[in-house]
Formats: sequence, C-alpha cells, structure tokens
Amino acid sequence: MEKAAGAAPARGLRSDQVSGLVLLLVAVFVGWENRSYPLGTLQEPGPGYVPLLLAIFLGMMGLLVALRGTRALSMRNLKWPEFPRAVVILLACAVAAYALERLGYRITIFAFLVFFLGVVERKKWYTTLILSAAFALLSYFLFDTLLKVQLPAGPWGY
Amino acid sequence: MGETFQNLMLGFSVALQPSVLVYAFVGCIIGTLVGMLPGLGPLAGISLLLPATFGLNPIVSVVLLAGVYYGAMYGGSTTSILMRIPGEAASVMTCIDGYAMTQNGRAGPALAIAALGSFVAGSVGVVGLMLMAPTLAAFALRFGPPEYTALLLLGLFVLSYLSGGSMLKTLASAAIGLMLGMIGIDAMSGYTRFSFGVIELGDGVGIVPVAVGLFGISEILLTAGQDAVPSVQKPKLRQLIPTAADLRSSVGPVARGSLIGFVIGIIPGSAHIISSFVSYGIERRLSKHPERFGKGAIEGVAGPESANNAAATGAFVPMMALGIPTSPITAVMIAALMVHGITPGPTLIQDQPELFWGFVASMYVGNAVLLILNLPLVGLFVNLLRIPYAYLYPCILAFCILGCYSVANSTVEVWIMLIMGGLGYVLRKFGYDLAPIALGLILAPMLELSVRQSLAMSAGDYTIFLQRPLTLIMLGIGVLVLFFSLKPMLSKKGKDWRSEVGLEDEPPPEVAPQSKP
Repeated sequence: MEKAAGAAPARGLRSDQVSGLVLLLVAVFVGWENRSYPLGTLQEPGPGYVPLLLAIFLGMMGLLVALRGTRALSMRNLKWPEFPRAVVILLACAVAAYALERLGYRITIFAFLVFFLGVVERKKWYTTLILSAAFALLSYFLFDTLLKVQLPAGPWGY
Repeated sequence: MGETFQNLMLGFSVALQPSVLVYAFVGCIIGTLVGMLPGLGPLAGISLLLPATFGLNPIVSVVLLAGVYYGAMYGGSTTSILMRIPGEAASVMTCIDGYAMTQNGRAGPALAIAALGSFVAGSVGVVGLMLMAPTLAAFALRFGPPEYTALLLLGLFVLSYLSGGSMLKTLASAAIGLMLGMIGIDAMSGYTRFSFGVIELGDGVGIVPVAVGLFGISEILLTAGQDAVPSVQKPKLRQLIPTAADLRSSVGPVARGSLIGFVIGIIPGSAHIISSFVSYGIERRLSKHPERFGKGAIEGVAGPESANNAAATGAFVPMMALGIPTSPITAVMIAALMVHGITPGPTLIQDQPELFWGFVASMYVGNAVLLILNLPLVGLFVNLLRIPYAYLYPCILAFCILGCYSVANSTVEVWIMLIMGGLGYVLRKFGYDLAPIALGLILAPMLELSVRQSLAMSAGDYTIFLQRPLTLIMLGIGVLVLFFSLKPMLSKKGKDWRSEVGLEDEPPPEVAPQSKP
C-alpha cells in the first residue's frame, strides 16, 4: 500500500510541514507572552526586545521549514514504535520527581528501580530487589555521605 | 618559551599531587565508561557529575570533568569498533571502517590505532592549548562588549554552518535555545521574564537539566525497548599489536586529524562531532584507494578518532582564554568553575596560574592514563558491554534524576530535565539537531547583555559595531559564513561542505549525527 519514503504519493502532511508549523505556533505564543515586557526603543532596548526578535526569527525559520518541507518524510512514514515505552518512562520519572522530596531519595529510587526492573522488564524478583536496594543505598552513600551532595530524606529518615 | 616551560613545571607540580592525580584517573575511568555506554554521552556524564564537584576544590573539579570529556572520546571508539554502536556521537564515523575491520577479524589493530591516534592527537592538542590560550587571553584583554557581541554572533553563524543537519532546522534549534536562555531575571532591567510564576525559574534555566534531558533522557526514550543482548568479541592482548603497514598508513591520517580537530575545536559548535566527519571525508578524498573506505580501511579509524580527541582539547582554548563556551560541554565546565567563585575570562590564566597550568599538565597525565586504560585493559571494559540494556537504562535514569536534583536541591530541575527529555525525543524524531539548543541557552544571556551594554556605551548608536576594527572583522567573517551556508539554498549548483566531505551521500550507520555530543 504505502510506498517507500520519498516516493510516497504527495498525500497527507509531511513531517517538516508539521514541525515547522508547530515552531511557528511556539513563536506566536512567545510573542504573545512577551507583550507584558516593555520593548524599549531601538537605541535602548528593553527586556522585551530580544525575546521579540527571537520570536520573529523562530517564526520565520518555522515557516521556511514548513514551506520547504514538501519533499520530507510524510507523517504516515514517521514511525513511533518506541512511543508507548517512552511515555511509560517519562511518567515513571514524573512520579519519582513528585515523590523525591516527599518519600526521600532512597525509598523513591528503590521503588523506581523495582518498577522498571520488575514490572517493565520482568526480571526475576530477587535480582530486582537486590539490585534496586543496592543501587539506592550505594548511590546514597557515594553521593550523600562521601561527596557531601545533600539528598532528601523522607519522613522516616530514608 | 622559557616562561611556558616554567609555567608547565608549576602545572606538573600541581597535577602530580596525589589528590589531583587520583581525580584525573577517576575522571578518565568514568569518561571511558560514559563513552562506552549507549545513552550517556560526555555532556550528560559531565552534567551529572557537576554536583559532585561542588565539595571539591576548583582545580580538582576541572581536572575531573576534563578527564571525563576526553576519556569519553577514547571510550566511544571501543563500542563503535567492536559493536557498531557509537557510544557517543563523535564516534559515528569510526563505526563505518572500525566495525568493518572487526568483521575482517582485525578488531585488535583497529582498537590499537584508535587509542594511539587519540593519544597523539590529545597530546598535540594539549601543546596547542598550552601555547595558544595564554596568547589569546592576553589579546582578549582588549575586548569590550562590542567585541564579545561580534564573537558570539560569529560563533552562532559558524555553528549553523557546520552543523550536521539542515541549515534551517539548525537555526530554528538555536533560536529555541536562545529563547530558553531568555527565561529568568533580565540582568539589565530586573524584569523576571517567562517564569510563569515558578520562583526557581528566576535564576534562569540551568544548563545541567537541559543537557541531561536533551542528550541523556531523549536517548533512552529513543532506544528503550530494544534489548537484544549484543554479542561482543573480546580482543586478546596479542592481537592488539598493529602491523608495520597499519602504522605506516595511519601516520598521515593521525597527523591531519590532530590538526583539523584542534582547529575545529576552537571554533564554536559541537566541534568534536564535526571534526570526525570532516576528517573522514578528507581521508577518503586523499586516499589512493577510496574504494577501501567502508570495507575496513584503517585510515578511516585513525583520522576521525584523532580528530575528535584533538577537538575536545581545542575546545578548551576559548573556554580558558576568553571564558566563552564553544560547546555545551565547556559551558558545564565553566559552570563548575563559577560555583567556586572563579569566572573564566581573559584574566583567568594570570590570576589562577595553578588552575590553568595544573589543568594543562593533568591533561598530559590523563592522556597517558587513557592509553593504558584503553589498550591493555580494553578486555576488562568490554565486559561492561555484556550487561543487558534492560538493567542499564533504569540505573542511568536514576542517575539523571539524582544528578539534576542535586544541582540546586530542587525538584524543579528534575521537571526541567523531563520536559527537555520529551522535547528532545520529539525533535530528534523530526530530524532537528539538539546541540544548538544547549549552546543557545548558554550564549543567550551573554549575547543579550553584551549587545545592550554596547548600545549603552555608544548611547544607542549601532555604528559602534562597525567602528571598531576587531568587531568589523569578526562580523564580516560572520556574514561571509552566513552567505556560504545560505548559498546551497539559493542556488541548486552550489555545493555544500557536507557533500564535499561525503556526509550527505553516505549517511552514517545506526544513528543520525545529531546524537549526543
């Protein structure tokens, strides 16, 4: 059905067209947010001056990428096989970031590794537990105790 | 010359202190590991180690971080040669002929030449750094805000010209980075810009979470789920010895690679990556048998490997002499010095001779250490590659969270890292180069400040940039570079340097050049 990239029929959006237009939108958003900062004059630029210039520049680049993107990879050919896994990873990291100061470093990282090794990668339960505990405790010892990098401790002191 | 020698002696007296020596050694080992592990490049590695240096003295910090940087240049070649996996982006070119040599049963000589070439290039680079940085610094004492403006603009133009991907996309990436650099309190007016109510953003977006997110997290997001255990063949010590013919055919590429690498290293951009591309292209062009390239030509290993090491050292010249980072990596190292109250700039070498010369001397030591680590001990390190990725990436993720959190003891940094990770993942999918984002982020505040200071100096007169001879020259070169980079877009006939060095007609294997610098 689908021909190879490049030879594909010119149906549907191209990847460069999509990304270029998104950049244009970002530029418009920045320009809009920037309206609350004084622009100053050309002779004496204010805090809003350089951001506005950058927004205009980014918008131009986005537009050019989109306009010249007619021969880029079509969106249908841009495959995302790793996307579900990537979302799981980002979500797990987000949970860990949320928990870090609430539960403490060692408990958070232990749970984080147990989730990845045990649930995502389905390693044997004893390897999972030993590795996770060892990593959490050793990294804490190395950074907090030896290198004096302060890491958060939770309500139970871990 | 005598003075240089005297200074170097001072440097060695610092570098050979046991404490400094230990950290140089540790840095080299960590660098080798970082270079070998997929998912961690030198930038992410250095960024993650940055918080650990807060408690150390400044000399030791810089020695440690520099060791990681050039150590990664050595380590990256091992995985490229043995497994066709570039441990870091500068080794992409080594994959082509290095892996072909492995398939021909000549992994040993390939590894040996990569390590020897890196050693020669690293040493040449250090000599260059030693001779050039003090001279450049003395010259740069005359620089005012207009000169810095011109220099930073020139850097951005050169970056967009030399970047591996599409020009427009590179410029767009640079603009994104410059915009990120606008976040935070404006130094001239005191306005807090684009902080969206997050107090921590008042200080701006730090380079560490951005670097770790863009180059560490996004790499893991891209590679997660492919956990086939790679088969690695372990080279025996005896096989490592290259033949006389190998050595003869490597002398030229190593010499040229060292020179090209060092020069490109001084120019802003992701120098060590580009230098290896340029070196590979030149070697193929100069070769009497270009058809051997891609099928295991030792020149294709010797040249790029030397070039990326020399470039890593060359990048320290503008960092030490001008205080200007020409790559995200040197930017993180500048941050490491600033934590200790040392601001790199033209006066650094005079004010802190122990720091500069100790650093230079430690690089001589470090290169020797790395040669030992990467030749006889390569079998030991190769074992690490047998660890399945399924075990590695959760640990790397945990390190990323740990490293970013501890920069400022704040989860805001971790959030920035995650956002940047997601952004980097999507941008790479769409073929955008990430290095200009990191560089833009660092250069933005410098650039804005120097432009506005220049205008304050001249009471709003823009001709201040044209009246000073140095600024005029630098801006002139910048415009010329911009013209060259736009030429292939304007006319179909114009040949870009990318096709000149054979970068476009032969895409590198496995990963695009915009991997991790």
